[in-house]
Amino acid sequence: MILVNKDTKVIVQGATGKMGSSHFKRMIAYGTNIVGGVTPGKGGTTLEGKPVFDTVGEAVEKTGATCSCIFVPPYLALDAASEAVNAGIELIVLITEGIPPQDTAKLVDLVKRNGVKLIGPNCPGIITPGESLIGILPGMIFKQGSVGMVSKSGTLTYEIALALTENGQGQSTCVGVGGDPIKGLDYQEVLQMFENDPKTEVIVLIGEIGGTAEEDAAAFIKKNIKKPVVAYIAGQTAPEGKRMGHAGAIISGDKGTAKSKIAAFKEANVKVAMTPSEVATLVAESRKQLAPAK
Amino acid sequence: MNLYEYEAKRIFAEFGIPVPPSVRITKPEELRKVHFGYPLVLKCQVMAGGRGKAGGIKFPKDLKEGEAIAKDLLHLTIKGSKTESLLVEPGIKIARELYLAVTLDREQGCPIFIASAEGGIEIESSGKVITMPIRYPVQPFVGRELAKKLGFTGNLLNKIADVANKLYKCFEARDLDLAEINPLFITDGEDVLAGDGKIIVNDDSLNRQNCFAGWKETHMSDLSALEQRAQKNDLNLVELDGNIGILCNGAGLTMATMDMVKKFGGEPGNFLDAGGGSDQAKTLAALEIVHENPKVDVILLNILGGITACDEVAGALVQFMEKHPDRHLVVRLRGNNQEKAEEILAKSGVKLIPDIESAVKEAIAKAKTGSKQAVGAKA
Repeated sequence: MILVNKDTKVIVQGATGKMGSSHFKRMIAYGTNIVGGVTPGKGGTTLEGKPVFDTVGEAVEKTGATCSCIFVPPYLALDAASEAVNAGIELIVLITEGIPPQDTAKLVDLVKRNGVKLIGPNCPGIITPGESLIGILPGMIFKQGSVGMVSKSGTLTYEIALALTENGQGQSTCVGVGGDPIKGLDYQEVLQMFENDPKTEVIVLIGEIGGTAEEDAAAFIKKNIKKPVVAYIAGQTAPEGKRMGHAGAIISGDKGTAKSKIAAFKEANVKVAMTPSEVATLVAESRKQLAPAK
Repeated sequence: MNLYEYEAKRIFAEFGIPVPPSVRITKPEELRKVHFGYPLVLKCQVMAGGRGKAGGIKFPKDLKEGEAIAKDLLHLTIKGSKTESLLVEPGIKIARELYLAVTLDREQGCPIFIASAEGGIEIESSGKVITMPIRYPVQPFVGRELAKKLGFTGNLLNKIADVANKLYKCFEARDLDLAEINPLFITDGEDVLAGDGKIIVNDDSLNRQNCFAGWKETHMSDLSALEQRAQKNDLNLVELDGNIGILCNGAGLTMATMDMVKKFGGEPGNFLDAGGGSDQAKTLAALEIVHENPKVDVILLNILGGITACDEVAGALVQFMEKHPDRHLVVRLRGNNQEKAEEILAKSGVKLIPDIESAVKEAIAKAKTGSKQAVGAKA
């Protein structure tokens, strides 16, 4: 497992809002170690039995939280995340979609300078099954196991996780890096973490059209990753020039096509599934190759 | 959101970027009130590039010629974009033309300058384009560095630097995806001014840019009418050519479903991402939008409810089927509140297909036969 486990202390910024509060409840029900919420002006109240603070600084001071899950509206996100960095939070999980990209660019610069890890924005979050769910992923679809997942998508990730779980291929950790063109952690950093993680044996990478993150990941895998990787790329039938939901899912000219990504993975000896259920098949196959060596 | 040249220049001027004097006209007679002297420039205000080549920029030598040309230009359509008005500017003695732009670079995760000492021509085919990352915190030295890289010295170095910095300020303050000046003129007298102006405003930022309030309706030329309506309902629609309508929750899942339809021999008619947590009303709006495409024979619904409540979706399906009993629907609905959804739909005779691949294959089969039986209905 990587990044989060049952001991990770999590606060939720935007906890008392409509979206924040419903997920606050779900995360607690899952067993995540939620230690409080932050909503300016609501400090001193409680939510689901947890304390609510006015500032992240106070929350960190009083609870020792190291992770913040952020559910604030798009134009408040840079402010909220900057506050978390300033308060000493080590891992930010930024769920919000629709953040102006220049705000994200500033945030990514800020977290890099301060050695803070950012997951997202526009992501479903991260889950280490059986230990910690941070974000909006549906916990019941995931099962503890040794497949590491990293993905740009939300519901497609759940679809593939479902296929894996139903085929007895549980997950070590699933990281949703999000669908925005500029983001925090990208494939490479997560792949390296999975490579270094004793609990992860096979890695599943879920990509989509737009940008060159998958091509860069493929080159990185060739050089640095020994564990088997299975990939799935969404958007093979997407037309050029159109934004397919995610801000980052857009083919510009001949850049960012699914074809280019699939080719790059094949070049790197990464098996590419053509349907979500095929991911599970390929994962099972890749284990057979692992067995003799271990 | 794309802006017209005259709008871009107005905004550039707000940020202190030198622009030529200009008058916008919508009728040829209005040229009589323009006192720039002749020859002057008449430019079609369109959303497309390549205006010059398409005959959208003319230099009449007197008023009579000007009015005649203006009449034609006002009716010109360039690459599918209608001429909204004409921008009239004085003729300028140009010594040099440069290219200068600010955009956000996805790979580097930061804003960049794109520039060339040779402007005016199609930038993609020019060999001498430089790019320079603009790192935070941004200070005016970045403009000077750029000007130096372009080979400028003396007064011109400072003037170019100044324009570059102002262009960046504009880009940042107005939440732009692109701020471009092509060409940036250097006159005989070594004045620098924007010969053309192109601005793309970031769509996600529009609601915090009051100056653009209400502009979206008249500036969304690259979306179809149905796609625009979908946007108003907070739905993401991309129209395609096939006959299988697709409605899912989540962009990746929608793309994957489209891909599977194609893979198994079908033709996707659209991409519609209803997003997470859609309630009954929103789901119904989405169904109606897919339904409106006359090419669609079957609507394939693929909802994996993490947050999205399946019973809300089921409620919308029932409402939809009451309004459109002849519509074929193939429904794959799983997850949150699934049992409730099954109960609601059982009364309408709709069977839920639990497996995504089976649902896709059913939809393709139904689309090919074009039969009037709703799939999974009357199970």
